[in-house]
Amino acid sequence: MDQEIIIEFSRVSFSFGQGPPLFQDVSLKVPAGSFCLIQGPSGSGKSTLLRMFNRLEEPSAGQIFFKGHPLLSFHPPRLRRSILFIQQTPTVFDGTIRDNLLRPFTFKNNRDLVRPGEAQLNKILEDFLMEGLDLDDHAQTLSGGQLQRLCFIRGLLLEPEVLLLDEPTSALDHESAEIVESVTRRLIRESGLTVVLVSHKKVDFQDLAPTVFEVTGGRVTGLQ
Amino acid sequence: MTPEIVNIGPGQLILGLLFIVLAGAASLHHGLKLERDLAVGTIRTFAQLFILGYALRFIFNLNRAELVLLVFLFMILFAAWTIRGRIKEKQVAFFWPVFLSMAVSYVLVSIMVTGLIVGVKPWWKPQYFIPLGGMVIGNSMNAIAIALERLIGDLRKRRAEVEMMLSLGADYKEASRDMVRQAMRAGMIPSINAMMAVGVVFIPGMMTGQILAGADPLLAIRYQIVVMIMLVGSTAIGSLIVILLIRRLVFDQAHRLRLRPVRKEK
Repeated sequence: MDQEIIIEFSRVSFSFGQGPPLFQDVSLKVPAGSFCLIQGPSGSGKSTLLRMFNRLEEPSAGQIFFKGHPLLSFHPPRLRRSILFIQQTPTVFDGTIRDNLLRPFTFKNNRDLVRPGEAQLNKILEDFLMEGLDLDDHAQTLSGGQLQRLCFIRGLLLEPEVLLLDEPTSALDHESAEIVESVTRRLIRESGLTVVLVSHKKVDFQDLAPTVFEVTGGRVTGLQ
Repeated sequence: MTPEIVNIGPGQLILGLLFIVLAGAASLHHGLKLERDLAVGTIRTFAQLFILGYALRFIFNLNRAELVLLVFLFMILFAAWTIRGRIKEKQVAFFWPVFLSMAVSYVLVSIMVTGLIVGVKPWWKPQYFIPLGGMVIGNSMNAIAIALERLIGDLRKRRAEVEMMLSLGADYKEASRDMVRQAMRAGMIPSINAMMAVGVVFIPGMMTGQILAGADPLLAIRYQIVVMIMLVGSTAIGSLIVILLIRRLVFDQAHRLRLRPVRKEK
């Protein structure tokens, strides 16, 4: 099957400063619109690998391509809007839910995007099972699971092409994790976005037929 | 009428050492272990100030612009060196940015004050330029150190927030705007507080010196007002330049925060 490749790693190596290499000679391809799962034990460098997708980390050797062009050829803030990274621990601005959802639209590189209206914001809150909340509620009063969903929504409003999720449920309690997982599943199935998700649990999301990359001992192997 | 200045002779200076003996005795009695520091501090005070006295006399006698500026730059270099020793930061090479921002802001402010406000002719006249410039350096170097420490500390502590904003399409300036603001405030607040308290809570050293030297208190306060304004100006300009330079240094071309958490350093 000839599928368009949206992100490609070509012989990528990485090390922190002058330290020993964390990865060596990693090559991988992410098909457009696919769901990719990066697995591996704790400390194997899964998150670092994910952070290389949007240049939060830079390879020490090799090249990464986005839609056939080297990542280095994109303006970093624009690239990060297209390949959007959502952190493991939800981080929000000090302000209301509305402030959090609209603040990114004030960034210089996002000014070409149309600001969503009240109706659209309320609709998307409902879609993410947060219908009981008011846009004027302070973000700091939300539970961990609600905060993570708020981060999802905030990212999706910027219309990314690729969504990078770094263990989105691992910092949450059991109940919140279940809700976030179900939201994540729906996102993977219905959004049409390319989703790359890091997880240390092998059983997660297998039913969604992901392309799996296994990270161990500085190597990354494709399992499917 | 020439005001009479009471001379302090060697005997009186030695008599003054009684206070050090008193402090040393207190340290010994209470086991403070400060005797050595007291002794070194006393010797340094005598030595440094005597050297300064002779150096100033030499410079005043020579009366040359290039020498005045050279001495001023040396003082700034020493201040930057002091800040380097005070801030425990290994990942950012901040010495030259600090020196540069101090040099630009202090030279600018000092020239404006001596040349325009006080109206000394020539503007570099050592009797005015060096003591006034020295006060600027001594006081606002603390502000620069505070601002710098705050910026680096905040960026490191709020790294997740910075990366959240970068990941949402912010550039490095947008992602660090709040930290820059906080660092500027931290640097400027002490000099603003000093303006609030001056003359009520404390009588500043320079004014005291002028009055002791026989100057009219009403002239002394005018000089002091100029000094206070100078301090606010040099603090603001110096902190701003150093913060902007260091911010540029801690983010790379990819708008990535280069400061790693300290625990990863080995």
